[in-house]
Formats: sequence, structure tokens, C-alpha cells
Amino acid sequence: MKVMNRVILVAALMLYVCSYAVAQEMTKEEWQKQITEFTAQRNELKNKLTGLQTEVDKLKKSDADKAAALKKCTEDLMALVGADAASERAFAAKLDEIDGKINELSRLSNQDLWARKGEIDDVQKMFDEAKKSKLSTMPKYFDRVKEQQNRIDALRKTLESAQLMMTYTVGTWAKDRDCLWNIAKKPKIYDNAFMWPKIWQGNKDKIKNPDVIKKGQVLSIPPKADLTKEEKSAVRSYWSKKRAAEAPATPPAAPVKK
Amino acid sequence: MKKSFAGLFVAGALLATLATGCTSKPNAAELKQLEDLKAEVSSLQREISAKESEKAALLRAIADKDAQLAQCEKDKALVQERLKGM
Repeated sequence: MKVMNRVILVAALMLYVCSYAVAQEMTKEEWQKQITEFTAQRNELKNKLTGLQTEVDKLKKSDADKAAALKKCTEDLMALVGADAASERAFAAKLDEIDGKINELSRLSNQDLWARKGEIDDVQKMFDEAKKSKLSTMPKYFDRVKEQQNRIDALRKTLESAQLMMTYTVGTWAKDRDCLWNIAKKPKIYDNAFMWPKIWQGNKDKIKNPDVIKKGQVLSIPPKADLTKEEKSAVRSYWSKKRAAEAPATPPAAPVKK
Repeated sequence: MKKSFAGLFVAGALLATLATGCTSKPNAAELKQLEDLKAEVSSLQREISAKESEKAALLRAIADKDAQLAQCEKDKALVQERLKGM
């Protein structure tokens, strides 16, 4: 009996579950309602998509127009400075080269800078050449070019201050025994007579013949450093001229009295 | 007691089954129509989302080009002035 009751109970439970499941199925009215709702939603979305597509098409056209206007403006700008892409690249490369040279010189000690002072003029020439280009007026280069000139000026100032610190006023032969050899030999100058070509080359504008210096001449004394290639070459040239003239290989002569 | 409770249970279940069994239901084709409609709506929503992203990107690109164009015009005026002084 107990078993029978249990069987009835389980069957009833299963029937209830099945009927519940059947009750969950969609009715025709519900289907119709959902079809109506989703159709309305679809139509609304289609309209929205069409509107968006129109907007996107307009924006694409506007974007293309702006791109064309920008291209034309850039071309006009390049035409103003008479340049094309290739010449602009070359100009930018030249500025890079100048920057590199200035950086290299800026890292030098005063002595080394003095020894390579000719390179400041070289870089100035390179800069002047680059500045002639109309491209230097373009905003993307203008400040850079200006900055380069400032840095070259700063190098010159460094050089000048180093130069101002070291000068020597030539005295008389009778009293001071001043010649380039003896000046270089002085302890407060180089303490090394063989450094005389450095004084000569450092004062090329004042000394045409190293055997002739004049009383009262104010000579710049380049910072103490090994003789540069140019200075060594000048010495070789000096001695070969001397030999050619069959003159004795003597140190530079005493200053000429005025 | 148990018997009467089980009987009541069975009667209720039968009634519920009968009640649902009598109402009309959509056929398989209609159900498929609804599913297709739902899929179409989902697809449209995705398309709209993509279009809105595209629109936003275009608006950004246009704003960027406007700024570049304004800068270019400014640069042109500046270069013209500097060239006069060269």
C-alpha cells in the first residue's frame, strides 16, 4: 500500500512538472505581440542606421575635403619657400650636421676648443649657407636655426674668454729677450720653447713672419696643449723655407725695435 | 490524508495541462520568423554601434585636420612675413 502511494505521488509530481512546462510555451497572442514589438524595433533601427549612414557619408566627404585643403596648404607653403620634399630632407640633414658639429665643439675643454677654433668658423660657414635657404623661415626650422646661431655665438664667447685670459705683451729684445721661442719657454707661458708655433699660429693675423715680432704687440696665448696638425705643418713649412734660403736653423729671431 | 492530497495534486496538474492544451500556439515557421526577426534586430544594433564608432572617429579626424589646417594657414602668413625681411 505504501509503495502504491509513493507511485501515485511521483506520477502526480511528474504530471505537474509536465503541465508547468507546457504552460511555459508561447501562445499565439504572445508570439504576435513579440513579432509586433520586434518589427517596430527593427524598423526604428533601420531608420537610425540609414540616418547614421548618411551622416557618415557626409563626414567622409568633409574629411576628404579637409585632407585636400591641408595638402594644398602644405604645397603652397612649400612653394613659398621654393622647396620640395627632397630639398627639405636635405635641409633637415644639414641642420642635423650643424647640430652635431656644435655639440662636438661644445663638449671640448677650452684648450681643445682653442686648438680647433678653425672649426667654429667652419660651422659658422655651414650655418650661414643653411640660413640662406628660405626653408629656414618655416616655423618648424626657424627656432632651431636661431638656437644654432646662439650656440655658435656661445662657442665664440667661450673662445674669447679663454683668449682674453691669456695674452702676452711683447717687450724688447735688449731687456726681455722676447722672441716666440723665448716667450714659449717662459714658465708662466708654456715652460716649453718648442711650443712657439702655437703662439705663431694663434696670432696669424699679427705675425706674418715668426722671426719678426714687434715691441708692444699683444699676443694671444692659446691654452697649453699638444701642437695641432696645422701647427706642426706650419713648423715644417717654416724650417723648409729656412733651409731653402740656406739660413742656419736657428730659433725665431728677436723682435725688431721700432 | 495522503491519498486525498495526492488526488488533489493530480487533479490540479490535469486541469493545468488541459487549460494550456486548449490555447493556440505558433507553429515552427512562425517561431522561426520570430527568431529571425530577433537576430535581425541584434545585427542592426551591432551595425549601429559600429557606425557610431566610425562617426566618432571621423569627427575626431576632421577636428584634427581643422587644427592642422589652421596651423598651416598661420605658418603661411608667418613665412610670407619672414620672407619679406630676408
